[in-house]
Amino acid sequence: MTDVAIRAVGLRKSYGRVRALRGVDLEVGRGEIFGFLGPNGAGKTTTLRCMLDLIRPDGGTIEVLGLNPQKEPVAARARMGYLPGELRLDETMTVVGQLRFLSQLRGKRLDEPYVRTLAERLDLDLKFPTRNLSKGNKQKVGVVQALMHRPELLVLDEPTFGLDPLIQREVLRLLKEAREAGTTVFFSSHILSEVEEIAERVAIIRLGVVVEVSEIAGLLRRSLRRVHIRLRQPADAAPLRTVSGVRSLQQDGATVHIEIEGEMEALIRALATLPVRDLETERPTLEEIFMAYYETAPKEGG
Amino acid sequence: MWALFLNAINRFRGQVLGWGISLGILALYLLTFYDTLVEQQAQLQQLFASYPPELWAFFGDIGEMFSPEGYLTIEFFSYMPLILGIYAILAGSGLLAGDEENGTMDLVLAHPISRTRLFFGRLLAFLAATIVILGLSWVGLVLGLNFTTLELSWQELALPFISLGVVLLVFGAFAILMSVVLPSRRAAAMAGGLAVVGSFFLTSLARVDENLEAAARFSPLNYYQGGDAILGLNLEWNGGLAAVALLMVLLAWWRFERRDIRVGGEGSWGLPRLRRRAVT
Repeated sequence: MTDVAIRAVGLRKSYGRVRALRGVDLEVGRGEIFGFLGPNGAGKTTTLRCMLDLIRPDGGTIEVLGLNPQKEPVAARARMGYLPGELRLDETMTVVGQLRFLSQLRGKRLDEPYVRTLAERLDLDLKFPTRNLSKGNKQKVGVVQALMHRPELLVLDEPTFGLDPLIQREVLRLLKEAREAGTTVFFSSHILSEVEEIAERVAIIRLGVVVEVSEIAGLLRRSLRRVHIRLRQPADAAPLRTVSGVRSLQQDGATVHIEIEGEMEALIRALATLPVRDLETERPTLEEIFMAYYETAPKEGG
Repeated sequence: MWALFLNAINRFRGQVLGWGISLGILALYLLTFYDTLVEQQAQLQQLFASYPPELWAFFGDIGEMFSPEGYLTIEFFSYMPLILGIYAILAGSGLLAGDEENGTMDLVLAHPISRTRLFFGRLLAFLAATIVILGLSWVGLVLGLNFTTLELSWQELALPFISLGVVLLVFGAFAILMSVVLPSRRAAAMAGGLAVVGSFFLTSLARVDENLEAAARFSPLNYYQGGDAILGLNLEWNGGLAAVALLMVLLAWWRFERRDIRVGGEGSWGLPRLRRRAVT
């Protein structure tokens, strides 16, 4: 059994003239919680739908749990749980009827005790007709159906979308528990704080290309840090520009603002030559790192 | 496939009951007039003779109106392909494309079922629903026999429904094929509606205009027997129509197996819109 849950190599997909995926390369290990970040239209949902053989890539390869979903879609999907980004349920059924039908599609009976536990934790009434559910409650049904058969791989497109903060936290707890039970969790999200909270690694996709894959801690460590230095009296800080890792420097009298990438050791040594009174460092949030990738992005369709 | 079939048939419930019971009642109601019509045959023949032949072209041969099969053709079976054709087109175009457009297919196909099973599960449900609708209409006619002197057996009354069913299969299969080729359910329904109405007019007008006969050979309704099927099913015609329907189903299945599952208009062609010119 391979240690890789998802592997995409040079995955390409176009819709007419729109190139949704321009060569996605991605590798997700088994048992990981992996966040997939990108704004609308970056190619997140297209990548996810390729994993389930809902759409066929134009080029490249994708492998899920060691299977090619284009060649063995049924075998691959039997081991996956999926929550679509735009979840739509059959509105003619009750919640439990819906879950029973989806279990039947797996050739299984509904695991009622487990489903009841999930529903209680998410505060979901199983007897409700689906058509009367709010957006948030429909999303809860989506989360339950993805988890209820204890899949080896969870592929979730914006799992907490439309949920209130308390339920969002419960969903994140469920995902962590699933991971502890051996499930690989691959999810896309716009809410970077939740990605930062539960994901071990993230991929950032921009214009159909994965531009960064990193452990969250590493990403934060490697990213630009802002350093604010106050001097006892104005002094020339320009030589600091030559210090390794310094990307920008602004001086306003006795105050110096520096942006530095990577290790701080060289900067600290250089600062010893200046009359430093106070020093403050500021780490960017994941959101700022994410935005930095996009502020420099070329526009689509050019 | 059983779960998919049951789920689909469950969604057809309303259509089956609505169409089936309505047409059954209509069939029963129409049969009760047959005896009155025969009693007034002489006066009615004089009246009908004054009507233009183009009118009768749509309903059948006026000379046959007083025979059991002629009466059933003119009063019931002549326009059934048009009425139930609309059902077949709407049901066929929505069978797969409806779920794609409302987004429910993504969830269903995220489960371990093949597209083939989904396709044929839905198709079987469509066939079953169509058979039940035709069956309820047939029951209406059979019950109507109790209120008329019309000497027909229930087996004979079933034959025109076979001819009608085969035509509906052609229209339904065409709509399914269009729904997997064209970008939206609406476009498929429009193409199917045009096919039904076009076929009805072409076949009808070809009865009074020889120039249209060659074109009418391509119309499915050219091979529709209506009430005449009581005298015997034309196996060649019905078999030919069934073969055409099967071919279209297989093409639709082939296409559905290979194409992307759409969601939210993804991959749509988009019809041109009429835009009002901005006034400044």
